Parts: sequence; C-alpha cells; structure tokens
Amino acid sequence: MTRRIKEIIIKYIFFLFALVSVIVLGLIVSSLFREGLPVFKSVSLKDFIFGMEWYPTYDPPSFGIFPLIFGSFIVTVFATVIAVPLGVLAAIYISEIAPQAIKESLKSVIELLAGLPSVVLGFFGMVIVAPWLQETFDLPTGLNIINASVILAIMAIPTISSISEDALYAVPNEFKEASYALGATKYETITKIILPAALSGISTAVMLGMARAIGETMVVLMVAGGAAAIPESIFDSVRPMPASIAAEMGETPYGSPHYHALFAIGMVLFFLTLMFNLIADYASHKFRQTGSATL
Amino acid sequence: MDSHIIKLHKVNFYYGQTQALTDISMNFGQNRVTALIGPSGCGKSTLLRLLNRMNDLIDGTKVEGEILFEGRNIYAPNIDPVEIRRKVGMVFQKPNPFPKTIYNNISYGPKLTGVTVADMDSLVEQSLRQAVLWDEVKDILNKSAMNLSGGQQQRLCIARALAMKPDVLLMDEPTSALDPISTAKIEELIEELKKDYTIIIVTHNMQQAARISDETAFFYLGNLVEYNKTEKIFTNPDVKQTEDYITGRFG
Ligand SMILES: Nc1ncnc2c1ncn2[C@@H]1O[C@H](COP(=O)(O)OP(=O)(O)OP(=O)(O)O)[C@@H](O)[C@H]1O
Ligand SMILES: [Mg+2]
Repeated sequence: MTRRIKEIIIKYIFFLFALVSVIVLGLIVSSLFREGLPVFKSVSLKDFIFGMEWYPTYDPPSFGIFPLIFGSFIVTVFATVIAVPLGVLAAIYISEIAPQAIKESLKSVIELLAGLPSVVLGFFGMVIVAPWLQETFDLPTGLNIINASVILAIMAIPTISSISEDALYAVPNEFKEASYALGATKYETITKIILPAALSGISTAVMLGMARAIGETMVVLMVAGGAAAIPESIFDSVRPMPASIAAEMGETPYGSPHYHALFAIGMVLFFLTLMFNLIADYASHKFRQTGSATL
Repeated sequence: MDSHIIKLHKVNFYYGQTQALTDISMNFGQNRVTALIGPSGCGKSTLLRLLNRMNDLIDGTKVEGEILFEGRNIYAPNIDPVEIRRKVGMVFQKPNPFPKTIYNNISYGPKLTGVTVADMDSLVEQSLRQAVLWDEVKDILNKSAMNLSGGQQQRLCIARALAMKPDVLLMDEPTSALDPISTAKIEELIEELKKDYTIIIVTHNMQQAARISDETAFFYLGNLVEYNKTEKIFTNPDVKQTEDYITGRFG
C-alpha cells in the first residue's frame, strides 16, 4: 500500500469519527425538537415562556415556565457570583503566587472537587447545609436558592479555576519580566499585565462554568426546594428547569401535553447552554490580545 | 570624585547548585557605555540581571559578595528590589512591548510611581523623542504597540525604560533580533543616551562593542577574564584568550 493511500484512509477514518459525534448530536437535537414542539398545540410560545403558572397536572393544565426559567437564572447567577471570585483567585494563586509544594496540593484538591459526583454534593447540601441554614436563619426549609447556589458554585469552581489557570500560564513570561523590570510589584504585575492578557481565557472559563451550573440537574433537584414560583428572597425555594424535567418525567404519560412541555423545557435549556458557549467563544476571540512581539 | 556608579566586589552567583559567576570584581563608570562580551553561556545575562535584581524572580538563586549601586549594597536586607528596578532600567533581547497601546506602554511605569496625568503626555512625548520614535508614532499613540515593526518595538521598549528616568540602562543584546537599519538607529541612540545615562550592554557583535562602548569586559565560563578600555581590548588585549575570542579564533 502506498503512503499516499494510507494517508487518505487515515484521513477518512478520522473524518468518520468526527462525523459520528456530529450525527449523534444531530439526532439528539432533532428528537428533542420532535418531542418538544407539539406542546405549542396546547400553549402559545409566549404563554409558555412568560406564563407565571406551572400547573402541568391540573385540569385544565397550565404550562407557564417563567418561574422555572427564573429559578435556573437566579441560582446560576448567585453560583457565578460566588464561584468566579473564588475560582479566578484560586487560579491566580496557583499560577502566580503559591510556592511549588502548595501549588501541587492545591491543584489536586481542586481536581478532586471536580471529580466529586454531583449526587454526593447534593447529599452534602441536603444533610449538612440545609439543616444549618434552617436553624441559623430560622427558616421553614433549608432547601432554597442560597443552598443550591453554594453547591452549584462548588461544582463550577474547578471548571473556572482550571481554565483560568491555563489562560494565566499562557501569558508570555516576557510581559511579566518587562513589568517587573519597570519596578512593578507582584500585585501590580498581576492586576495590570497578567489579568488583562488572560482576560479572554478567563471569560471563557466563566461562561463554561455558568453553562455547567445551569445544566446541572442532580444538585438543584436535591437542594433547590422545588417550588415553582417566583421567589421573594434568597431563602425561598425554587424549581430550576433541569429539576423540573428530572422530577416530573417519570410520572408523565407518554405523548401527553405535559410530556411535550418537559421536552420543550429541554429545548430552552439547550438554547441557553448554546448561548453560553457562543458567548464563551466570542469572548475568547474578542478579548484576545495580540501575542508576544513579532518581528 | 568617585565616578563609579556600580561596584561589584567578589561576587559569586549560583542557580541552585551550579555556579554561574565566580569572584567577579569590577566597577562601572558613570555616563559610560560598558560592553559585556563573551561566548554563549558565560554569564553575561546573569551579571546584567544581578544589577537590577531580576534574578530574584528565579527560584533557588543565591548571591554572594557585594554589589554597590550609588554606594548602597543593593542586596542588603533593607533594600526593596522595586526601588532598585526603578533606577536601573532594562531592555531585553527580544522586544517585549505590553499588548497595550503605545501610549500606555510608556505610561505604565511612571503611573506606578504616581506621576499625575497632566505631566504624562509630555513625559510620553519626551521619552519617545529620546528613543527617536516620536515622529514615527505620534499619530498612532492609541494603536496597539504590537502592530509596530521589531525595530520600532525595541525603541519603544527603550522609551518605556527611559520614561522611568533611570540612572542606569541595562541592555541585553538589544539589537540581536533587528535588521541593520534598526540596529544602526539603536546604536546612534545609545551614543546619544550616554550623555545622561550609564549604559551596560551585552552584545555578541564585536563591531558593535567596538563602535559604541568606552569599556569592554570579556567573560569566559563565569569568570571576568579581562576588563579595560574598549580601544585597548580590541587592539592590544593583555590576555591571549581575549584576543582569540575577538578575532574569532576561539575554541
Ligand atoms: N534560569 C536559569 N536556571 C539555571 N541555570 C541558568 C539559568 N539561566 C542561565 N543559567 C545558566 O547560567 C549560565 C550563564 O547563563 P547566561 O544566560 O548568563 O549566559 P549568557 O552569557 O547570557 O549567554 P548568551 O550569550 O547565550 O545569552 C549558563 O550556563 C546557563 O545554563
Ligand atoms: Mg544572555
């Protein structure tokens, strides 16, 4: 067999594998749409997205998922607010400040965190965080927004920190040396040179962390409390979209409007995650600073 | 009158276990251009980076002996390296402007010291004029420095160092990545800067050392072999090794 034919065969094998993943994705998305779109026979798109009432089992049912969207939104935002500073600061500490020994152990701890199954974290939220919240703040339940946000943040931190860390490592050493040689302190060099140069990577990290949080199911199912209503405080329960799907899918008759509604929620989640990924992609181009000196 | 701005006395330097400089004693004259020459790996960059404490940034290094800058030992425990680096500027082998605008590249250092914004415009202009770059960039100060040519970038880096109004300028092979025209420009610039600054320059280019420097130091394997007036080194060196190196008969 000539080398040229080998090359061609190898090329097509790789193409085939790439194709398989594209096809699988296509099949999933198309079945999602096939099962989800029929819900719009029983409810308009506007009433579905902005409807305030999620009573899928009433007679007549009402399929307003706005409280679910809001629930997802609120826990994701709070989780991000908690996870971004912690994740980014951890990345800065690991890549720029920590001595070698601490660096290694800290990295393994964060990797361990990434490896924890979400059900374990959810369990932690249920039996440790929830009772503590309930007692400390004298609440009817500890399964609420703040609990879910904290647990989601713990899940998002490894994503944010490891991607940010890569971005920080990628900042050319020449920039740092130039900064130090001008009499900048370590703190000044980090805030004025390293962080701006790593901004695109860090924004990608944040977006992917958020995508991780918004799609997470087990945690919100276990600790968000499950109330399908617009919350009035951070101590209220919510019912994020993935929790709704997971909790209700088992009891829904196949082909019923409720069944289609859950798939339609899946579509909404799909679009949201897609949006986060597109923003992450855009950010990684937009803030990219032109690399080191070219001659 | 003491015209030596930097004095080294019995300096040893180690990267971990390996010794990179052995027993270096030498003085650098004020407002002079001193060239450091020698084969690759002989410790020229190491010596240069000792003078503004850039070697502090490398883990596991050790300095012995005394390095006096304006009479003070810069490795004394009460000395802040940041203070030293503001007075001893550095230009690197590879042009390394920040990925910021031309203006912000220059203003970066002075801002750290707290120069007010009103002064800043004139300081930027003055520094760029000193580095003979002003006419080329005065209309694009808000463009990224990354779009400049290599030679322009290097002059920008010189301007950036000058904006700190240092006493000493350390240059590590500043023209090795540049074409002959840019090199000539930077050599002229060094000639000009000599009036106000003490310049210490590492170079692999013998003609360059001969053209621009007043004194030349030849290093070999971490030792200072010969240090004298440039004219003397290039016409009638005392040590055979120096002559061999300069005439290219080394090895
Ligand atoms: N960061 C470092 N860690 C360990 N050893 C180093 C480091 N930097 C330099 N050295 C060693 O110290 C010695 C002197 O290096 P230095 O960079 O000062 O040489 P140089 O004279 O500048 O060479 P060149 O002309 O190639 O730039 C070399 O043997 C080198 O391997
Ligand atoms: Mg060198």
